[in-house]
Order: sequence, then C-alpha cells, then structure tokens
Amino acid sequence: MDKRITLTEAVQLVRPGDTLALGGMTLYRRPVAFVRELIRQGTGDLTLLAFTAGYESDLLVGAGLVKRVRTCYFGLEIFGLAPMFSQRVERGDIEVVEETEASLAFGLRATLAGVGFMPGQGWFGTDLLRVRPDVKLVTDPYSGSQYVAFPAIKPDVAVIHAPVATRAGDVVLRGNLAVDCQLAMAADRVIITAERIVEQPDEPLDIIGVAVDAVVEAPRGAAPTSCWPDYPLDGAEMLRYVEACTGGGFDAYLNAFLDG
Amino acid sequence: MQGLNQPATDYTIDELMCVCIARQIEDGELVVQGIATPLVVAGYLLARLTHAPNIAFASAIGQTFCRDWAPLSITQVEALWLGKAMGRFDFAQAVCELLPTYRPKEFFRPAQMDAQGNTGNVVIGDYSSPKLRLPGCGGIADVTAYEERMCFYVPRHSRVTFVERVDFVSGLGVGAGPADRPATGPIYLITDLGQFDFANGRMRLISVHPGVTVEQVQAKTGFPLQIAPDLQETAPPTNEEVRLLREVIDPLGIRNLERLSGAQRRAKLHEIIEREQGARLGKLQ
Repeated sequence: MDKRITLTEAVQLVRPGDTLALGGMTLYRRPVAFVRELIRQGTGDLTLLAFTAGYESDLLVGAGLVKRVRTCYFGLEIFGLAPMFSQRVERGDIEVVEETEASLAFGLRATLAGVGFMPGQGWFGTDLLRVRPDVKLVTDPYSGSQYVAFPAIKPDVAVIHAPVATRAGDVVLRGNLAVDCQLAMAADRVIITAERIVEQPDEPLDIIGVAVDAVVEAPRGAAPTSCWPDYPLDGAEMLRYVEACTGGGFDAYLNAFLDG
Repeated sequence: MQGLNQPATDYTIDELMCVCIARQIEDGELVVQGIATPLVVAGYLLARLTHAPNIAFASAIGQTFCRDWAPLSITQVEALWLGKAMGRFDFAQAVCELLPTYRPKEFFRPAQMDAQGNTGNVVIGDYSSPKLRLPGCGGIADVTAYEERMCFYVPRHSRVTFVERVDFVSGLGVGAGPADRPATGPIYLITDLGQFDFANGRMRLISVHPGVTVEQVQAKTGFPLQIAPDLQETAPPTNEEVRLLREVIDPLGIRNLERLSGAQRRAKLHEIIEREQGARLGKLQ
C-alpha cells in the first residue's frame, strides 16, 4: 500500500486544537520540514507534546500556534534556554502541563496497554502534584504502598522524521529513539517524513507500517537538527537562532526560515 | 620535568571539578550522561582512562549502552553514542525499567537547591508568573523518589543556586518520600568552592578547594552551612590528570562552557562550533 503524500497534504492531517506529538530527541532528528509547512499553513490552538522539545518546538511556540505544552525538557542543550518558550511562559501566553520522563513514558505505556494509568514511584515530595491536580495517587492493592497514577496520554497526531522509510510506512530510525515508537503506536494519525523512500530496508525496523497513515519524502527534513549519520547537528545555525531571538529578532528569523 | 602523578600547580577550577567527579566513580559502574553536562562527561572519561577502565556508559542522547569513548564534542555526539553503541534501548524502557532496576550513577545540575537537597529546575520565582522559565526537570522528580545515592554538581556556587527555600521543588531531597519508602536522597555535591555530603540530613561542607575559605563558601550559600569536624582541603589534580583533560578528553575546552556566562560564554561557544564545523566542512569542500 502506497501511503506517500505531499508535505502540504500531510500538514492538513493536523486540525486546529489537536494534540500534536513531535518525534526525535532534543536537537536530533526533529521534524523541522514538517514544522515549516505547518507554520506556513498556520494550523493553531495546538497542544504540543514532545518527550523533549527543542528548536522545532520553539519555532512553533514563537509562531503563536501552541496554546499548551507537555514535555519534560524544553531547551536547546548547550546552546541554552529555548528563548521563545521561556519568554511566552514568563508572559503567561501559553499553558504548561508539567511532565517528567516518567509521566510521559508511563502515560504512553498506559495508552498502549489499553488502561487508564500506569503507577510509578516518582513525584513524591515535589511540587508537581500541586500543579497537576489531574494526577492522582493510587494504593497498591497487594502491598498497600502509595504510587502516582500517571494518566494515559494519547496524541491526536504524531510526526516523526526518519532516515529511511518504505512507501507502506515501515520505518528505520537508527537510534536516539526517545519515545518515537510509543508515539507512533499511541497516536490516532501518524505521519512519517523521511530522508529516503526505499523498496526494502536492509536494517531492522523501529516502526511497522500498520501504525503509519502517511509517508512524506523530505530530504534534509530534520536540518538544522541532525539526521544521523546523514548529517550532524548544525551548531552554527543554533547559535544564529539563539542570538536572533535574544536581540528581539525572532520574527525576522521566522520569515527567513519560512522562505527556506 | 614534574612527575606524572605529582600534584599539579597549573590547573583550573573546572579541571579540579572533573577530577573530583572522576574520584566518585568506581570501576565497573554504569554511569549516565544527562543533557548538556560536559563537565560530568569529562569526569567520567577521566575515570575511564585512569582508575575505572571497565565503566559502561548510558547516555540520555542516543539511549545506548557504550563502553568505548571519544573526546568531548557538541555537534558530533551521535558519532559516539550511536556510532560506537554496543546496544540500544528507548527512553520509555530507560525510565520504566532500566533506571529503577540498575540505578546507574548520574550527576545532576540543580538550578536551585536547599539545605535538605531539594532541587528546582522548572522556574525561578513564583510558578504562576515566573521570573525565569527553565527547561524543566527531565527525570529528576522521578529518580529522586527512589534513588538512595544522588550526586549533584554546581559549576558556579552562589546564593542564586543555594537558597533557603526552593521556588518550585522538582527533585526530592533528604528522606521526605512516602512513609514506606523514605529515599535517603543526595549523598554528594561538588561545586567550584568545595565538596559536600548530606551526612546529617543537611548539606555539609567536607572539603574546601585550595585557596577557598569556609567563610567564602558560607557567604555564597543562602542558608547556614554545616561544616564537617574533619574538614579537608580538596586534593589537587595530578599533572597526568590535567594533561588527559586538556589534550585527550576535551581539547576544545567544552567543559569550560559550564563555568562561563554572558559574552565570554558566547565567544567560547562560537569558537568551539567554528573549530568543529570548520574541520568538517573543510573536509567536504
């Protein structure tokens, strides 16, 4: 089955108000080409879900398309804070649903297991339970111990960039997986953007085609983040971005980015 | 020529911190590298190249298992963590299975910390209208709930970090977990001024770095400091440790980024990226 569509068509699978999950890890294998087209089409009111959020997510937040963020880390690694995310939270323009590695990982696993929550040991003694009143405690029926019941997380759409995919949506990711495989299984709609479309991958699959709704050929679709081993992170571009934003130049940067 | 194992006289504070981190590593351990923590990686590699040749690495970037190593890098980290990986997992496996089971050693960098070792990495200021929004706590709120030997590092010891009260606690300190699982929490902290333990449930100075006084440490700490009765002076690096850090482990000086701020840090980051990418582009053209 041929699931190939254009980037323009793929973005139309995202509806205003959706929970949009972006694959990849910090500054690695992020779906940047997809984000560029999403900003061009202006689909907004989004809940952004990312295990870690980086450059691609900061652009979406800066473009004003995100009303709510769910992630355990939103930053640019050694390049510093994600400037637009920090600014918009400090201004009160966007809502943050505080997450941690465990709330995201257990939440996705709950969805995959078909249950409403997964219990975990984390969060006790922190302020997280105070700002997440939706997260409840649960008593272990066997030992009587208390755990945090991390609620199931279900994205509407997941977008994952891959080095290699087939027309049917079989996907090779080659590592730095974050929770990409779980996102692909949990989301209602799954879009793969890929450096190359091949007949038959000669490496083990990370995502099987039955999980995937659409495949888009997008060479250099993760740049300036990396797509290992095809191209590394472009550190000079990260510096340009941070310095543009620091000088109040996000809009000019975004305009140039959209022309790219 | 000075002896390799003689104490160095020419060393920087970041090098001393790397050496202190290396001394905390036991041979054969599994160690974890968090996001943007080059000072810690340099310490791990120093241990790997000296007294702990059998340690194994699990990196947040890549989520792989690795025994080999490479010099510190910013834009080429995947060449190590993916290119030299012996096995891989994903972050859900890491969080739900590997971390609670194997409890690897990791050094966390708190934005704020109080005397009991509670930490904050989410905001500075009031949560609902923060002065500064930080990236978030990653998994610190998760592992501090069960880990009994948490290690921390603070490259710039100041009253900004060491506060009477953490604005938003996103990491559990000493012994405040649920009644049946009171995690003992932090056991070790290294800063640019000294080393600390939490022996009596409060942050306690156990050694001051050469040239630092107890009064200076107290002045830069926002709560009354406990002092160990047998307070030591931190042993300096050896000549060989300094050589390994400068020539073998981190020739670009990436570890320095954790100590610098403002224009100095920006300039250093530009220099490192130009050297890394310049070398690569030079090969392509």
